[in-house]
Amino acid sequence: MNRVIVIGAGPSGLSAAITIAENGNEVLILDEYMLAGGRLLGQLYEEENGKWWNGIKESKSLHDKAVALGIEIRLGTPVSNIEKLDGSWVIYTDEETHYTQHLLLATGAAEVPLPIPGWTLPGVMSVGAAQVMTNVHRVKPGNRGVIIGVNVLSSAIAMELKLADIDVACITLPKMNQVTKESGNPMDVMNSLLHVSHMAPSAFVKFGSKLMKNEFMKKMGITFFPKKGVKMWDIPIMLRKAVINIYGENAVEGVTIATINASGEVIEGTEENISADFVCIAGGLYPLAELAAVAGCPFYYIEELGGYVPLHNKRMETVLDGLYVAGNITGVEGAKVAISQGVTAGLAIANNLSGGKQEVEINEAIKRIEHTRDNAFIQFHPAVKEGKEKLQRYWEEYGQEVKVGVTS
Amino acid sequence: MTSRIINHPVLDKVDDTDFVSFTFNNDEIRGLRNESLAAALLANNIRTLRVHEESGTPRGIYCNIGHCFECRVTVNGQQGVRACLTPIQEGMTVSSGEKFLTSVKDWRSNNE
Amino acid sequence: MIICRCEEVTYGELKNTAETYNCSARELKLRTRAGMGYCGGRTCRSMVDSIAHASTERDVTQVTLKYQPPIRPVSFGSLGEITK
Ligand SMILES: Cc1cc2nc3c(=O)[nH]c(=O)nc-3n(C[C@H](O)[C@H](O)[C@H](O)COP(=O)(O)OP(=O)(O)OC[C@H]3O[C@@H](n4cnc5c(N)ncnc54)[C@H](O)[C@@H]3O)c2cc1C
Ligand code: FES
Ligand code: FES
Repeated sequence: MNRVIVIGAGPSGLSAAITIAENGNEVLILDEYMLAGGRLLGQLYEEENGKWWNGIKESKSLHDKAVALGIEIRLGTPVSNIEKLDGSWVIYTDEETHYTQHLLLATGAAEVPLPIPGWTLPGVMSVGAAQVMTNVHRVKPGNRGVIIGVNVLSSAIAMELKLADIDVACITLPKMNQVTKESGNPMDVMNSLLHVSHMAPSAFVKFGSKLMKNEFMKKMGITFFPKKGVKMWDIPIMLRKAVINIYGENAVEGVTIATINASGEVIEGTEENISADFVCIAGGLYPLAELAAVAGCPFYYIEELGGYVPLHNKRMETVLDGLYVAGNITGVEGAKVAISQGVTAGLAIANNLSGGKQEVEINEAIKRIEHTRDNAFIQFHPAVKEGKEKLQRYWEEYGQEVKVGVTS
Repeated sequence: MTSRIINHPVLDKVDDTDFVSFTFNNDEIRGLRNESLAAALLANNIRTLRVHEESGTPRGIYCNIGHCFECRVTVNGQQGVRACLTPIQEGMTVSSGEKFLTSVKDWRSNNE
Repeated sequence: MIICRCEEVTYGELKNTAETYNCSARELKLRTRAGMGYCGGRTCRSMVDSIAHASTERDVTQVTLKYQPPIRPVSFGSLGEITK
């Protein structure tokens, strides 16, 4: 039995499964969520060509295609552990244990929190939680929210909340400390925003890039940054304010913000309260690679990719025989890159099953990942390409006995 | 008050006619068929899903995608079920976790 | 201010421990229980890491906070027997 198993029904897992099935193999997908699509489900933005990227529709079309190919998708199925026993991968779920020769981990990313006093109160949620509530479940996370953390994901989601007629009082910084670090420093935030200035929806960023050509101007820009913020989609982006507390009796009632200086220090006596019934925390994303870790993959910390990533080559093969990775587990990027990584992993698996019939296609698929990356609409880290190159160097250094035909 | 987003400028309209009923801490709640327990409760303005087992502080959803386990409730007698991953079903009995009588921390410091 | 939501370990507690013992993320976790809660550290691990790495160097070739199976709590029933 050569049934391939894929963990994760996000864009990368679904695309991989489709590719594997199209090449004549059986596939089983396991996912703990209640719908197929992973984090693609919540995505909604207008692309440069004016078309909407509707995550629900994109997920449905991937899902329908997979089902039409006879792929079995088991939702509501958390995988709690994997291990290699007698040459097979063993996959443990609550109900059943599965075995396979070829296992793909496509478990995506998780959110990084920013700790703020009061952040355990009901009504405080990660920004992704608000995205899913709004776009997938279509329930308002609240009527008036404050978003803490200014970055690509939070500005994209702020716009999505606005579309659903949810009031966003402001997007602002967390109070700086050892954990929030750069996220709490106006200069660092400004710098990171400048890197994404090609991102179409960001009127604010355009405003920034015109003004902030050099360090001096940036410093000036931050120093004179309007305390009330600059508006984007009518939402004030406040880089000179930080949330110092979230208050409420049994649920969020509001946040206390204060003015901060250009290096992020709170200016005493400037505290004021903003009422809100929900708060979103946006600290960024990191690859969710726990299964690769318990399997024993070597890991490297690559900041540009969002944190620790399991070592893998361009064909998405890890150093462990029969274990592959694709999507955000290999570094945080948008869904289109995840899809092209899924296709590549799928081809690599099909190729290993067929004894080398997909070589040409694999090389094309690898090029397509790079092309997709170069044209990506959303970029979580400006230097993701450098991050990928670092990983490639680690792969080479690792001195792995190169498998059939691997070229870099 | 939070509410549903039935009409949306880009996404399809939501069908808000097919309801199912379940109970949460003995209160009868109505939600839309196939929606998550967390969404159904929020649509009914319920944010607190449990209290922290030791300190008793109220907790609600945090990640909404199964990562944080903050939303865990007891469903039909089974503990530790994540409300954000669980579709509601007619007649489901759901309850919050309770604060432990003896603090686990105290127990640990005496027994470890 | 809480860092580890599951175990309710605070920023102050973690910072003090990190400074007192000048310790690695792993040791910080063992000393405070931050990261040993129900979620398996998924929520707090990056924060615990940052606090530790303010006092020690990060080893880029190793995950600082080890992952231990099961990575999702397994219900007693499905283990086939009641353990511990
Ligand atoms: C909260 C959030 C919001 C995001 N928003 C955007 C956005 O607006 N725009 C954008 O371009 N990108 C966004 N991203 C990035 C997103 O990760 C990628 O766009 C893309 O969805 C990655 O695809 P993937 O297939 O790698 O993983 P995912 O889409 O994350 O899918 C992974 C799947 O694996 C499942 N899974 C994980 N672990 C297990 C397990 N142990 N057992 C069973 N199933 C498991 C999950 O349930 C999930 O369905 C977001 C990411 C997150 C985490
Ligand atoms: S809200 Fe995080 S697991 Fe449900
Ligand atoms: S938040 Fe620390 S273990 Fe869950």
